[in-house]
Amino acid sequence: MREKKREEYDVVIIGGGAAGLTAGIYCGRAQLKTLIIEKALVGGLATYTNEIENYPGFPEGTNGLDLMNLFQKQAKKFGVAFKLTDVKKVKLDSPKKEVETFRNIFEAKAVIIATGGSPRITKATNEEKFLFDKGISFCATCDAAANTDKTVMVIGSGDAAIEEGMFLSKFASKIIVSVIHDEGKMDCNEIAKAQALSNDKMEFKWNTMVNSFEGQDHLETVVLKNLKTGKLETITVDTCFEFIGYTPNTEIFAEVVQLSKMGYLITNLNMETELPGVFGAGDVRNKELRQVSTAVGDGAKAGVAAEKFIAETEIFKNQILQKEKVGFIYIYSATNAPSMELLPMMQDIEKEFITDVKLNILDVYKGKSLCDRLACDVEPMTIFYTKDGEVIEQSSQCDRPHITEKLKSLL
Amino acid sequence: MKEVELDCLGEACPIPLVKAENKLKEMEIGDVLIVQIDHSCAMKNVPEWARKEGHNVEVEEIDDGEWEIIIEKVK
Repeated sequence: MREKKREEYDVVIIGGGAAGLTAGIYCGRAQLKTLIIEKALVGGLATYTNEIENYPGFPEGTNGLDLMNLFQKQAKKFGVAFKLTDVKKVKLDSPKKEVETFRNIFEAKAVIIATGGSPRITKATNEEKFLFDKGISFCATCDAAANTDKTVMVIGSGDAAIEEGMFLSKFASKIIVSVIHDEGKMDCNEIAKAQALSNDKMEFKWNTMVNSFEGQDHLETVVLKNLKTGKLETITVDTCFEFIGYTPNTEIFAEVVQLSKMGYLITNLNMETELPGVFGAGDVRNKELRQVSTAVGDGAKAGVAAEKFIAETEIFKNQILQKEKVGFIYIYSATNAPSMELLPMMQDIEKEFITDVKLNILDVYKGKSLCDRLACDVEPMTIFYTKDGEVIEQSSQCDRPHITEKLKSLL
Repeated sequence: MKEVELDCLGEACPIPLVKAENKLKEMEIGDVLIVQIDHSCAMKNVPEWARKEGHNVEVEEIDDGEWEIIIEKVK
């Protein structure tokens, strides 16, 4: 085995789509040494879409590739580095995180997972020829308006398929739904099913699956096969929407970070995963709407969160848990009056020891995340005693004699 | 395990791809081929071919409009 070259970064972003690029722009602009790793071409899933009509700022519309090139240009302007290769392995549960490619190990203080995902396809004949902008769509939000007064097909009968089908019925004149099950059986919830069955514009083809897609440059007809009779039926459509599932790119994170049952990355609203310093952004997250604009929002939040995390880590290590002196950290809250009244006394105690002791005060109301690094959900009026950069004791006794005594014993 | 550099600078598609295919055939498993290119189409088709064959691939931008495609032969 060849020795892998190690490189150090502040932030490593896995995935160079809309979310990853936006996170990169924020991190780069915050002067963090940032790397984006992309396994194929920069831009991600958006580059497969020809027209993007609902991304703000482009009243004439734009295409995915051009838009993503602009994103990349902006990231590069802020000094973001790019590496075009596959990530093989990650180690994320320690302060120094590792992202491994086949030639390198990248070390990072924070990692943003923006690996996206891809829609599942039927694998029927000629499908590849018409994907995305050539007549097979995976997004009603994106392509419904373009199908006003047209005939469309929907493949699938799950919640997404039926709900998107009903949304399409506001635009298209006819929606033909191909369902693999027997008549009346659908995978969606009962309410959606009842609504769909009573929708005049929707016509159901039971026991069918796609046999092939046909057309010249653009999709013209879908050939359905009846699974019971084996009979083929050719149906003329303007667009075929496939809603048979979505596969997030999370294989390498399976044992590393919390995923939903369907394999999506679980984060909170600040894009934080359960692992400190590991964030998620974009389509890979467990969320409702997957658009360039939502990916951009996620990316911005994840970038800022990573920046804040790194800054806090520095402050925590170098100031709060400083190694130079014996320390005591007083936790108060701006919303808790008694805890604030003790502040002058704490400063007095620090003075009493002249230069031997260092006091840090933390407001749990404003700086919860810093306080959480000491102990989860710490109450105001708690004191942490430190020595050599480590917490020695946590105490809720805030009277002066007790504190003085304790500090003397540590000196 | 050796590293071989393949100079395809100034060459348009499909020459870099053909050269890379031929070169890699002569090489042993575990060897690394570095294809130097400056035509953006090769940046797409060479990595795509190598990935489809199952090799490890990395693309590095050396300069503006100049890339190295690093391929480790795995089978």
